[in-house]
Amino acid sequence: MEKLIIIKYAELNTKKSNINYFIKILKDNIKKSLDGIDANIHFDKGRMFIESSENNYNIILNKIKNIFGIHEIIIGYKLLDRDLEVIKSTVVDLIKDENISTFKVITKRSDKNYPFDSMEISRKVGGAVLKAYSNSKVDVHNPEKEIYLEVRLDAVYIYFNREKGIGGYPVGSLGKGILMLSGGIDSPVAGYLAMKRGIKLEALYFESPPHTSDQAKNKVLELAKKLSSYNGEMKVHIINFTKIQEEIYKNIPHEYLITIMRRMMYRISMKVAKRNKCLAIINGESVGQVASQTLTSMQVINEVINMPVIRPVACLDKLEIIDIAKKIDTYETSILPFEDCCTIFVPEHPVINPLSDKCEEYEKLIDYEELINDAVINHNVVKISNKNKYEDLL
Amino acid sequence: MIYLDYSATTPVSFEVLDTFNRTTKDFIGNPNSLHKLGVKSQELITSATKQIADICNIMPREVIYTSNATEANNLALIGVMMANYHQGKHLIVSKLEHPSIYKICDYLESNGFEVSYVDNDEDGLINFDHLKKLVREDTVLVSICAVNSETGVRQPLKMIRQIIKKENNNTLLHSDFTQAIGKVSVNFNDVDLASLSGHKFFAPKGIGMLYRNEKVKIKPLIYGSSKSNELHPGTPAVALIASFSKALRIALTDLEKKERFVTRLNEKLVKEFSVHKDILINQTKYSIPHILNISLLNIKPETFIHAMEEKDIYLSTNTACSSGDLSTSVMAIYNDKKRATTTIRISISHITTSDEINQFISQFNSVYNNLNNLTSKEA
Repeated sequence: MEKLIIIKYAELNTKKSNINYFIKILKDNIKKSLDGIDANIHFDKGRMFIESSENNYNIILNKIKNIFGIHEIIIGYKLLDRDLEVIKSTVVDLIKDENISTFKVITKRSDKNYPFDSMEISRKVGGAVLKAYSNSKVDVHNPEKEIYLEVRLDAVYIYFNREKGIGGYPVGSLGKGILMLSGGIDSPVAGYLAMKRGIKLEALYFESPPHTSDQAKNKVLELAKKLSSYNGEMKVHIINFTKIQEEIYKNIPHEYLITIMRRMMYRISMKVAKRNKCLAIINGESVGQVASQTLTSMQVINEVINMPVIRPVACLDKLEIIDIAKKIDTYETSILPFEDCCTIFVPEHPVINPLSDKCEEYEKLIDYEELINDAVINHNVVKISNKNKYEDLL
Repeated sequence: MIYLDYSATTPVSFEVLDTFNRTTKDFIGNPNSLHKLGVKSQELITSATKQIADICNIMPREVIYTSNATEANNLALIGVMMANYHQGKHLIVSKLEHPSIYKICDYLESNGFEVSYVDNDEDGLINFDHLKKLVREDTVLVSICAVNSETGVRQPLKMIRQIIKKENNNTLLHSDFTQAIGKVSVNFNDVDLASLSGHKFFAPKGIGMLYRNEKVKIKPLIYGSSKSNELHPGTPAVALIASFSKALRIALTDLEKKERFVTRLNEKLVKEFSVHKDILINQTKYSIPHILNISLLNIKPETFIHAMEEKDIYLSTNTACSSGDLSTSVMAIYNDKKRATTTIRISISHITTSDEINQFISQFNSVYNNLNNLTSKEA
């Protein structure tokens, strides 16, 4: 008998012919997250199995709990000898220290040629438990202990506890997207939700030194690190936005500052996205939250690009967004008080219903094409992973 | 690099670092050990403390080592208020203190003590009449810093003490000497307690000191050691103590000569800033020359600091400990919110060179003009 981790897939059963593609990506993601741990991973259409040495299981559980595409994580036992008597004695032995009062045996049999059917197996194994522990009783409705048996072609799997995975599709199975990561509360949550639907993220951050500080940038890199525990290693594109922002500030009527600034950010995001084979832009816009997030603003801002913009938190209330931010541990970092590009140069009365014509007219006042190209060509890329490496500090 | 943030901290001087290294290497014994290695370490601490006491004109047993000035302030305020609560529960502080003092006051207030805040005049000096009115029979302690960390205003401690003692002879005076020591001369005998921080005068970070007149009753904040260091228990930081002593001795040598040099640099800067009509200089006739505080009005101080940082020049916004907030001291003196929220502090020392000041001025002007053009054009 060997101990192992059994993984049940989330939502992938809706994929028919290409399910193997999804599972393979899930396997790769798990493999990457277990980098450095000696573990053997194999899978079939219904389950994935991770075998390792006893000491590693807790570490592995901790690492895979943030991997999308997993419905359930189970610690179980694999019994190669499928003889019913062996199953009985093994189950009895596995629960010998537990002094259980009520239990239920649940059997699944995927090998339809096995000499007993599911009901029979449950009954016989249950009988063995009753015989071995005279204080125990069967309770099919509300048992204290559930004993699961899966009779498969290669072996019998026995397990007791099931832990929920975080669901979703394996990250990367739906391609790549670029996340506009500002440092606020909303964008990391948007990124999390996008990853949940299988999108592998690269992040893009606009810095505006000296108006924004290194502390603000480090905060964003810290957020990227937190997101990378779901995403795997994440590229963060850092765009120097100072010149563009100063030109806008100097030349554009101030009520249109934010609208034009966002249009420039969208243009840059699309260029960086295309250069990096990202298929969509993801951001933390939430309908109505600020002036640039009214439907009119969104429309006027969105029209400068031709690429899908996914806004996962568009229809969530702020408190709902905060709840998710707390759950994924980005909230405390997001509320650190450093200024980002969107909080400097804020006009007193930003336009709520901007007009495209006006935007186009104002944009003629600055030579933005060249500034944008410059910013895109000269931007820095930082690769962030959630692995902690400790080295000599000096 | 041009470093003009000496009031935030100073680099460790070569001689002091040498002392630190040699002590760490050669004095490995725990000063509390009985064997000769321990005795050797204890003797070094005794000599260092005696040296400090001599140059400060106090007694060795009045020297209490701490980790920094904030800890010294805590020990002074909380320790004295707790030990003397039979006499009263009233404490007076100025409106020009380091933030640590106000945090301690909050703590004391939430524990049943009463804190009064004494006003200052428009030149930053404590308002003596107000102080006189505030001192009561149950006033245990007054705490007023020797030099304000943001504007450099220096208080006449001797006179302040006379006023206090005239109203209530039992009331004690504590002063935070952090920004004064090594810059201008201070007299320990003008006060009953004083806090010092080593890293402000070229010693390493991690060592401070509280002077406590031996007659002052004080209660420890932490417990766990023998009689000899009961106010700061634990194994003494031998190398830091030796370094502190050395740095203090060097700092107090040729003090007036060094101050005259710094005054010349200060005057040059003031003359330069006066040209800009949108810059206000937050300096009164009582400010020491080492600290020069100005308000940029149209420019966010953080932006300015970062822009200068790009030129490898280092300044601070009000004090290093409270970046981003309103400067309480500038507010207390000028009562002008815009002025108080746009301050930057240039702090110089005797190791600053004229050449550095010239380079600083030229970079300052270029950065200032750029940013001022950008932000003063409100549409």
